[in-house]
Amino acid sequence: MKGGKIDQVSNNGFEPKIVGFLCNWCSYAGADLAGTARLKYPANLRVIRVMCSGRVSPEFVVKALRAGADGVMVLGCHIGDCHYQAGNHRAAKRIAILRRLLNYMGIDPRRVRLEWVSASEAQRFTKIVKEFTDDMKALGPNPMKKVKV
Amino acid sequence: MIGKVRELAKEWLTTKKVDAIFGLRKQNNDVAPYLFTDVKELKDLVLSIDNRICFTVRPSKQNIVHLIQKNSPDMKIGIIARGCDERALIELAKRFQIDLEKIEILGVACTNKDAEECLCPIPYPKTIIIGEKAEGVSLDKIKNVESLLGKTLEEKAAFWKEQLSKCIKCYGCRNVCPMCICKECKLEEDLWVKSGELPPDFPMYHFIRFYHMADRCIECGQCEKACPAGIPLLTISKLVRKDVKELFDYEAGKDVEQESPLVTTLDETPLKEEAKDVAV
Repeated sequence: MKGGKIDQVSNNGFEPKIVGFLCNWCSYAGADLAGTARLKYPANLRVIRVMCSGRVSPEFVVKALRAGADGVMVLGCHIGDCHYQAGNHRAAKRIAILRRLLNYMGIDPRRVRLEWVSASEAQRFTKIVKEFTDDMKALGPNPMKKVKV
Repeated sequence: MIGKVRELAKEWLTTKKVDAIFGLRKQNNDVAPYLFTDVKELKDLVLSIDNRICFTVRPSKQNIVHLIQKNSPDMKIGIIARGCDERALIELAKRFQIDLEKIEILGVACTNKDAEECLCPIPYPKTIIIGEKAEGVSLDKIKNVESLLGKTLEEKAAFWKEQLSKCIKCYGCRNVCPMCICKECKLEEDLWVKSGELPPDFPMYHFIRFYHMADRCIECGQCEKACPAGIPLLTISKLVRKDVKELFDYEAGKDVEQESPLVTTLDETPLKEEAKDVAV
């Protein structure tokens, strides 16, 4: 399948583990607002707060996928709003290369998603998390995670 | 061809166009990089084309040209360079490792046969002094690339798991790479690559190498040639280089003025929106 939405298939109640790298200045505040506004979003997301989406090196993403995450989200400020001017510019470029590289190595690039969420966009945050969780449910468990022996 | 190169090197040295010639020297069947200052020594000069495993620009962990320039900053060096050597020099200069103003490139073009053996896309330097421009090998003519792209995700993962399980973590691919210039290396950090674990955990070791080379790989193919396990490392490096070109219109080793897209902002080097989606 190319681009587009992932077909919805039931996956026997599979609950994906999702790691989210949220930038301190926008996305984390947006997630916080979702909390204080009592908006509902799937509990599959595990949040890691980073100072900037530009802090997220691609190794973090691969390590998360290997360590047991079914999907990884990187959320940062909208372009132009970065607290450090251009940190999110770098994130955008890195993730673009990363997703292609993952594809060549046989790791589904749809398991990695980059989005911009501002501090006031609690609704958007919940929508993205919900969408991504549904996508991961449809994709099923991540085959590259390390199985504990 | 080697006769012509020796002649020209001699001319450059005697006319003081350069203070030294950096090339490869063959002694008792051993080939190693050498800085020629004496005309008499030039009889041992050989070309990297004929000794493919030995690359002129970076055959040791620290870049030799960088070390020479650190010791003698005023020395004018003539470097015998193929297309790949030149791309490496450009990329190194861009990253402040060497000073191109003190370097005179003696450009040698490879033949079509050489290019095919190296799977080289651009088998000639910008200014060819010796030899003739030959056609490079384009990406769609490479068997490994074609067969990888024909695989499904599961097949790709299975293929790389098998290939990378052959890795003996000799670090040859990293050590031979002309573009590996960091003093501290993530491949040596336990957090990413556990020491004493063989083969290295899939896919971190090789992922780090591929990703870190994304904006600098010059397709010299030294990594693949150095690999004692015969892992087709160039397959992914070539594809990622193609992607960086598609996404940012950037090619490593092409122009010393063109900065890597990964260190510039989106305003300076935009990301092509239409190229962002990955076809799975």
